[in-house]
Amino acid sequence: MRTAIPAGVNADPPIHGVPLGWESAPGDLPREFAGRGAQAQALRGLFPEAPGNLSPVRGGRSAALPLLEQIRPDRYAKSRNFLDGAVTRLSPYIRHGVLTLVEVRDAVLHRTRERGSSEKLINELGWRDYWQRLWRQLGEGIWDDQEPLKTGHDPESYDTELPLDIAAGRTGLACMDGFIAELHSTGWLHNHARMWLAAYLVHWRRIRWQVGAAWFLRHLLDGDPASNNLSWQWVASCFSHKPYFFNRANLERYSGGAFCHACPLNREGCPLEGSYEELEARLFRPMPAVRSGGDGRQLRRQAGRGGNASALSRPARPQARPR
Amino acid sequence: MQHPVLWIHGEALGPANPALQTFPDRPAVFVFDTELLGGRSPTSSDPANTLGEPVSLKRIGFLYECLLELPVTLRRGDVAAEVLAFAQRHGADGVVTSEATDPRFSRIAERIAAGLPLEVLPVPPFIPDGDGQAFDLGRFGRYWRRAAPLVWQAWQAEP
Repeated sequence: MRTAIPAGVNADPPIHGVPLGWESAPGDLPREFAGRGAQAQALRGLFPEAPGNLSPVRGGRSAALPLLEQIRPDRYAKSRNFLDGAVTRLSPYIRHGVLTLVEVRDAVLHRTRERGSSEKLINELGWRDYWQRLWRQLGEGIWDDQEPLKTGHDPESYDTELPLDIAAGRTGLACMDGFIAELHSTGWLHNHARMWLAAYLVHWRRIRWQVGAAWFLRHLLDGDPASNNLSWQWVASCFSHKPYFFNRANLERYSGGAFCHACPLNREGCPLEGSYEELEARLFRPMPAVRSGGDGRQLRRQAGRGGNASALSRPARPQARPR
Repeated sequence: MQHPVLWIHGEALGPANPALQTFPDRPAVFVFDTELLGGRSPTSSDPANTLGEPVSLKRIGFLYECLLELPVTLRRGDVAAEVLAFAQRHGADGVVTSEATDPRFSRIAERIAAGLPLEVLPVPPFIPDGDGQAFDLGRFGRYWRRAAPLVWQAWQAEP
């Protein structure tokens, strides 16, 4: 939403870095710009390889503190799976240490009267810590499949390049194209949108998760191989006991119907449409263990994916065990 | 170390950075890592794919805005070489930085330490006062069963 700029207010004020207490040297990068437009132009000159433009999401402590102030742990717990839910948007600042995880933890604990209302948000901060610990343990191995895929497909059958329609945000699905446009222009996506987009790439388009993960890392302001890659692996099923997927009804519900009503595929046939059982049969092949297991327990677990589980962006009880 | 310079890295771009806290008056430097930003590092791209693509300008702009709020000289290029050259310009007898998770940090730190004494300051941990044992990271649930009570202890201790 754009707000009108009152007359007399400079829409593109000059940018001043905090002063340094020492002399500058040849080759130091500028800390003063005539405005944000001039800054973007200067950065394009300094980093000619880097594609795109600046994000409307501003960096720095001054941008992060109001967000920290606005945290509502109780509302977060209830609404976090909805695209318009009370999520914190703090991830880029935490990723780069503008705010530390300890600071955010303490801010949440400080305004907690009842433990239950903040449990979910504290738990999610715990996920961040967990992924970081795994990155330290895995190193570059964070790019390798942690376990075999549970999709029934040969790992070699997955595409090793990002298809052009995805790179251009022209898949024809209003939801996916909307997410891609937001990723490309802002560098931030709601967690549920990341999960839907990742599942679409890996399961509907049969693309290697590494291709999607690298694409996200190029664009996300908060991207690091820890949270990013391990979440892609969770979607793909090499860091969980089953693949994550969803259906159109799930997306429509948690996006508040923002995409489906105007989507051309609404009439022509949406590839995300179907019950979970139908989609499972369409997207995956039976796993040998399920086919020959015989005791029925795994079959039940495979078939038991209900609406509740699909609303979660992560497994409630992850079965993953990294190598 | 009497006259160090500070190496600020991309995981600590806030005032809580322990190097800035401990040495608020010493010259500090951040180096835009051109190899990483070019997509030629496992931090930004799949090492199995030799044709890594560059990181978008959005990320560089975001980092830049964080850095303009900190008293830090900005450079670009090879991080270790730039930090050591910065130290030399300021007649420093060492370099101080803070812990980082990225394995790339350790490799750069080793190269800096080959040229000058390097002190890496600890960052306060998310999980306070562990019992010293490593966490079982096999699954989140197992990690969190031990970690959560330690986090919530801090809350219970508040008046």
